Amino acid sequence: MPVTRRQFIKRSAGLVTVGMVVPRIWLSEARAEQVAFTPTQKLVVIQLAGGNDGFNTVVPYTDSRYYSLRPTLSFKESELKTTDGSSTLISNQFGLHPSLKEMKDFYDAGKVAIVLGVGYPQPNLSHFLSMDIWHTADLGGVGKGWLGRYADLALIGRPGLTSASIGSLDLPKTFSAEKFVVPNIISFSLYNFIADPNYPGDYNNQINVINFAASRMMPAGSVIASVNSSAFESLRGAQQVQTSVSRYTSSIVYPANNPLASGLQMVAQLMATVPEASLLYVQVNGFDNHSDQIGDRQNDRANKGIGDHATLLRWFSEAIKLFHDDLVEHGLADQVLMLQWSEFGRRPGENASFGTDHGTAAPLFVIGNPVRGGLYGEQPSMAAGDLDPAGNVKFKVDFREVYATILDHWLGADSRLVLGAQYPNVGFL
Amino acid sequence: MANITYDEAAHLLRRMGFGGSPDEIDDLAAKGREGAVDFLLNYEQIDNRFLDDIMRSSFNFSNPFDFPRFNRGELQRWWFTRMTFTRRQFEEKMTLFWHNHFATSASKTGDLLIYNQNLTLRSHALDQFDNLLLTVAQDPAMLLWLDGVTNVRGKPNENFARELQELFTMGITDVVTGEPNYIEQDVKEIARAFTGWKFFHPRNDPNPFNYQFIVIDSEHDNTVKTIYAGTPWAQAGNLDGADVIGIICARRATARYLVKKLFDFFVYPLSETTTDRTTIERFADVYISRNHSIKELVRAIFTSDEFFSQRARFALVKSPVEFILGPIRMLGARYNPGTSAREGASNNTLAAVSIFLGQDLFNPPDVAGWKLNLGWINTSTLLNRFTYADLLAISRTRDLNAPGLWLSHEQLRSFAKKNAKKTLKKLLSVLGPLELDGEMISALRNYLESDDQGNKVGFVIDDLTLDKKVRGLIHLIMCLSESQLN
Repeated sequence: MPVTRRQFIKRSAGLVTVGMVVPRIWLSEARAEQVAFTPTQKLVVIQLAGGNDGFNTVVPYTDSRYYSLRPTLSFKESELKTTDGSSTLISNQFGLHPSLKEMKDFYDAGKVAIVLGVGYPQPNLSHFLSMDIWHTADLGGVGKGWLGRYADLALIGRPGLTSASIGSLDLPKTFSAEKFVVPNIISFSLYNFIADPNYPGDYNNQINVINFAASRMMPAGSVIASVNSSAFESLRGAQQVQTSVSRYTSSIVYPANNPLASGLQMVAQLMATVPEASLLYVQVNGFDNHSDQIGDRQNDRANKGIGDHATLLRWFSEAIKLFHDDLVEHGLADQVLMLQWSEFGRRPGENASFGTDHGTAAPLFVIGNPVRGGLYGEQPSMAAGDLDPAGNVKFKVDFREVYATILDHWLGADSRLVLGAQYPNVGFL
Repeated sequence: MANITYDEAAHLLRRMGFGGSPDEIDDLAAKGREGAVDFLLNYEQIDNRFLDDIMRSSFNFSNPFDFPRFNRGELQRWWFTRMTFTRRQFEEKMTLFWHNHFATSASKTGDLLIYNQNLTLRSHALDQFDNLLLTVAQDPAMLLWLDGVTNVRGKPNENFARELQELFTMGITDVVTGEPNYIEQDVKEIARAFTGWKFFHPRNDPNPFNYQFIVIDSEHDNTVKTIYAGTPWAQAGNLDGADVIGIICARRATARYLVKKLFDFFVYPLSETTTDRTTIERFADVYISRNHSIKELVRAIFTSDEFFSQRARFALVKSPVEFILGPIRMLGARYNPGTSAREGASNNTLAAVSIFLGQDLFNPPDVAGWKLNLGWINTSTLLNRFTYADLLAISRTRDLNAPGLWLSHEQLRSFAKKNAKKTLKKLLSVLGPLELDGEMISALRNYLESDDQGNKVGFVIDDLTLDKKVRGLIHLIMCLSESQLN
């Protein structure tokens, strides 16, 4: 008896249990079922690329192993305060890095969920492979991106600029999709279709021809069909960007020397002027702190208050605060959830170069008004017997649980269709 | 020998080079399949004094420490100038292939060593593969890039040993059988074989570019290495790096992997079908029977029926370099590369465009090289391609002695025919030749015949039409998805 597509999905759905990955072909069948999409519930993904040091981001200041493994890099309880002297302790076990001044205020206001010990089984210490694993939500790092799969389910056929990656010339793999094209916008001024300024009257003729060209049907699955879909999305997006973003006004001043702030300003600009813009992505690099994680090589070698990591976290904290204020100014703060991730944490034991090497599990931040603030997950043990042969901790929360929580409880999706398995709700929404 | 068609010759020149003018394509077509490939392949026989003169007057690379004359921007301008003007197109194309294959970034090696590596890749581009690989492995840029210089006895660094097998020769698994080609233990053993490999600049050598390879005996591990144990390729002994390279280059897995990389870059992406596996095996046989000669392998590929098949036609996505240089050569646009002394980095139009299209020469994203084909395409890189198309199409004649790119009014006149249909046909031929569906052709023809309000007013060749509509048409053709393909 032939099995219909619908029956096939129903039957296979019963087979899905925790940890079991549905074959990709089933997923593509399942895409026939479009999920609900509510453009008022927006997600901003913030990637800290290079592997952020979790142990110095959320400091376990009562753990003696933290101090024995990090004689130079560790923060004492008395050092967990911002430059103006206010404490950054968030519980009787944890304190935030002194650079996370604004993040501490947000945490106190219940706008930050910190999920401890986030990672995945058999951790990969390669930047590229581990990033691919997080991008695809697949432990082999293969297949389309998790938000690309969501876009295929929820965003196909929606009018307007529903999603975009901001500030990079590459599209992050998180957004790679079967059919949907997620735009990537490196700058608004470049994101434009330009014709001969000598003959402005000819512009409409040109844009009409090129729009027609990009609307043509091409053989399904062909290379030219992919190029043409991207061309269509480029032109549509460019037109919308050029007519919309210039309407943005804001009293918030984003500092030019903070790259994350520049990216988030573009996100705010889009969200404030394009109502359907809902799925945004920004990335900040530099977290691969093998050396000079702290201090100043010339003058102040062991000063933990300065150095690469302190700067990066200050950018993070400051940028989030400005972005949030901007959202408040535009009445959007209740609609925006921010998810921060990094491909791995760093090793608990410091190295000989005032830095740390590639690690595994780390805390992850989910930020915004919609969040139920507080600590989630569990801190991995740094006891000698609990570390793996490379000296790394064991994860406590699978990152796909975080994705599932957001898909199910914020983006209106069925996370099983996107992730291929069911994961527990972490509870921060 | 039988002629090949104009379209076939254009296809060959776009792949073995960057493209050419209608006259160049006619000449190539008349040579026949073998003759045309021979002509492009035996490039050392092509008179290139035209390029040599331009390079001499445009660059001064005598002192690598003279920063205004020797820096990354200048290096990029140098390579773009070569690729724009060379008559030995395949020499540059093959160097580009190897730059992607042995992807090395100046961000780690510095400008002097990446320049030396580029010269090495060019001079050995069609050498025996073993020889090319050994030369690249002993070239300072690679020794720095993959940490060979810190790979010493007792403290081996596995970086080069891993990429040597994973990216430069065989791949993790055999591209035909899917079997693993090596295990972690092989990486460790091979790393020891390469210990002590260093480079130095001879004291008192007046040539600041002249670095030399050396093995530091005290840092080289002289004990037994056992590689590929338990396989038909097992070897044990006091192997050094050159031995290992010889062993790997003799493995069929290397032949297959090279064929696949060449196909993905020059012919069409190979799949895992039986047909494609058979194709790989046939060309792997050529590599083996012709003593690993790259020249004979690529000759077999470019003269093959696979290369001239319908499947190969426009099966690849143009890389940024191809998208930028192709129309310059096809349209006969003029390019003045400028001189470093005159305006410095601001001359660097083509390299700057290439960065915005996603290909920053001498700075590939990682050791695996650029992601080819659809990897080049996203909404930003596409819009940037459209902007470049506009930049080229509307670059009007001005001071011929000033650096820059231009498409002269006279050149446009040579494409204009007596009516819109023929003019369109001519430009589609020059810029490809591209085959478009009837509706697309009508839309472009309407464009030529319409006024600003979209009313059909006909097409009369005059200065205004040339300057407005023919330039506009070139812009539009270059924006078509068909033009993104190669």
